[in-house]
Amino acid sequence: MNIADIINPANLVYEKTKVMNDTPMHYCPGCSHGVVHKLIGEVISEMDMQDKTIAIAPVGCAVFAYKYLDIDWQQAAHGRAPALATAVKRLLPDRLVFTYQGDGDLAAIGTAETIHACNRGENIAIIFINNGIYGMTGGQMAPTTLIGMKSSTSPAGRTVPLAGNPLDITKLLAQLDGVCYAARHAVHTVAAVRKTKKAIQLAFENSMNNKGTSIVEVVSTCSSGWKMTPADSNDWMVENMFPAYPMGDLKNE
Amino acid sequence: MSNKNQDNEILLMKGNEAIAHAAIRCGCDGYFGYPITPQSEIMETLMDLEPWNTTGMVVLQAESETSSINMVYGAAGCGKKAMTSSSSPGISLMQEGMSYLAAAELPCVIVNVMRGGPGLGTIQPSQADYFQTVKGGGHGDYKVITLAPASVQEMADHTVMAFELAFKYRTPAMVLVDGIIGQMMEKVILPPYKPRWTEEEIKKNTPWATLGKSADRGPNIINSLRLEAYEMEELNNTLQGRYREIEKNEVIFEEINCEDADYLLVAFGISARICQKTVELARMEGIKVGLIRPITLFPFPTQVLKQYAEKVKGMLSIEMNAGQMVEDIRLAVNGRVPVEFYGRMGGIVPSPNEVFEALKTKLIK
Repeated sequence: MNIADIINPANLVYEKTKVMNDTPMHYCPGCSHGVVHKLIGEVISEMDMQDKTIAIAPVGCAVFAYKYLDIDWQQAAHGRAPALATAVKRLLPDRLVFTYQGDGDLAAIGTAETIHACNRGENIAIIFINNGIYGMTGGQMAPTTLIGMKSSTSPAGRTVPLAGNPLDITKLLAQLDGVCYAARHAVHTVAAVRKTKKAIQLAFENSMNNKGTSIVEVVSTCSSGWKMTPADSNDWMVENMFPAYPMGDLKNE
Repeated sequence: MSNKNQDNEILLMKGNEAIAHAAIRCGCDGYFGYPITPQSEIMETLMDLEPWNTTGMVVLQAESETSSINMVYGAAGCGKKAMTSSSSPGISLMQEGMSYLAAAELPCVIVNVMRGGPGLGTIQPSQADYFQTVKGGGHGDYKVITLAPASVQEMADHTVMAFELAFKYRTPAMVLVDGIIGQMMEKVILPPYKPRWTEEEIKKNTPWATLGKSADRGPNIINSLRLEAYEMEELNNTLQGRYREIEKNEVIFEEINCEDADYLLVAFGISARICQKTVELARMEGIKVGLIRPITLFPFPTQVLKQYAEKVKGMLSIEMNAGQMVEDIRLAVNGRVPVEFYGRMGGIVPSPNEVFEALKTKLIK
C-alpha cells in the first residue's frame, strides 16, 4: 500500500491548509505554537486573505514563524512587533496585519509598543502566546511566570518580593478604549482549539473592518521549559495557569 | 506655511522646516517620530501641513524613538519611503533599529539634528555623533550612508538625496546635521513635487516588499536572522560589497580655495561655514588656506584628502566635538603631513578668529 492509496478522496477526512507549507517545524513536542500556526493558516485560507496578509514575527521561539506559513512576513526586533504592524497597517489599510508574540516579547520588553499600539486602536490583531516562560533562551522567568513556578532564573520558584506578581497584560489591555476585542483561550483540547480558531477569525475580521485592536491570548504549554511531558504539561496548565489566566472573552465590542 | 508654493520660489524657513517640506515633496510615504529639541519643528511642520490630506503621506507621533525607528522598519519593509528624525539622545535609542534596518537591507531616511552630549547633555548644537554615525553605532558590522548639510538649502536637497541613495543601495541613509542648521532660517528653494509611488511602482521598484503574497511569487520575508554562521557571513559579505560600491560611487565634497592652498581646513556642517570665514581671514593676512568640506561622511572623501596630502603642508580638522573626523583624515593622509585638530564641545560654537588662532598655533607655528 502506498500513500496515494491511503490519501484518496474517499478516505480524506482532513486536509492541511495550503497556507501552511511542509517545512518541518522546530518546535518541541507538546508545544502549542504548531497548533496556533495551523489555526492562523486555516483562518487566512478560509477568509481568502493569503495575498492580503502581512504578519509580524517576534523574537522568541516563534521567530521562525515565517518559515511555516506562506504569507508575507516581517521579522521584528524583540518586542517591537506592534510598532512595525502600526506602520504597515497605516500605510496599507486594506491589508490584514497581525503580530505573533510571546509573553517575553509582548509583556516584558515590548510593553510600551504593545500598550501604545492598543491605546491608539491600531487596526491590527495581536496573537499572544503565554506559556509563562522564555522558551527560546532556555527557560528563564517571564513576566507571566506564576508565583512559585520554577525557571532557570527563578530556580527556587518565583517570589513576589524578588520578582513581583505575574502580569495579566491582556486584562490590562482590555481596559483601553482602542481595544475592541480581548480574549483568552488555549489549544489543549479539541473544543479549546475550535474556540481559539473562532477568536483568531474574529480578531482578523476586526482588523479588516477597522474596528480597533484585537488581542487573542493563547495560554500555552512549554514542555521543555516546564520540564514536563506534553501530557503532564497540559494537566499542569489547566490546574495552575488557568486559575491565574481564566479563559473567555475579556472584552468584545 | 503652505507646502504648495510655486516651483523655484525663494522661501525663508528653518532648516528643520525645510526637511519637512522636502519630505512631502519628494514622495515620502511615512514619517514616524518623537519630540526632542532641537529638531521638533520637523514633526510640528508635518503635522501643520497635514500631508495625509494632499499626498496621502502618513505622519505619526510615536511613544518613543525606539518605536519610531521600528515603525520606519515596518513601513520600509513594505517598500514605502519612510523616515524619522531625532536628536542625539533619541538617535542613541534608535541604534538597535538601525542595525536591524541595515541587516534587513531596508532603505529609509533618518535625520539626526545633533545636540551636545554625552548623556542628556544640552540642547545646544554639536557634532559629537560623528563616530556613532559613520562607525556603525549599533551592533554588528554595518554602515549608514551619511549626508552632512551645511545650509537650509542642503537640508531640503539632502533629504531628497538621502531617499535616492537609500533605495539605490537598499540601506539606511542619515542626514547628520547640527542644531544650528536645524534652527537657523535661510532662503531655500524647495525641491519639485514628485508623486508617491503607486502600488504597481512599489512592486516593480522593490520586488522584495511585503505587500501580501500574490500567487505569482513565494512569500516575501523581511528578516535579519541567519542562525547558520555561513549564511550570516554571506549576508555580511553582501552588505560589505554594497558599502564598497557606495565608497566607489557616492563620495561628495566641496573644495573652497584649495588650488593654491598651503594649509587645509577640513570641516563639515556648520563648522565648514565658520571655516569659510577663517579662510578669508587667513588670505587677508597672506596665508594660503583652503577648505575641504566633506558632504558625505560615509562614504568619506579619503582619496581627495590623500591627494591633497601630496600638495599641502598640513591639515586642521575643525569639529564641534573632542576630535572624531580627524581620525578619518589621519587615516587618509597616513602620516604624509601633520593633521591637527581643533574643536569645542558641549554646545560651544567656535568663532572664525578662534579657528584662525588654532591654525596658526597648531600648524603654521
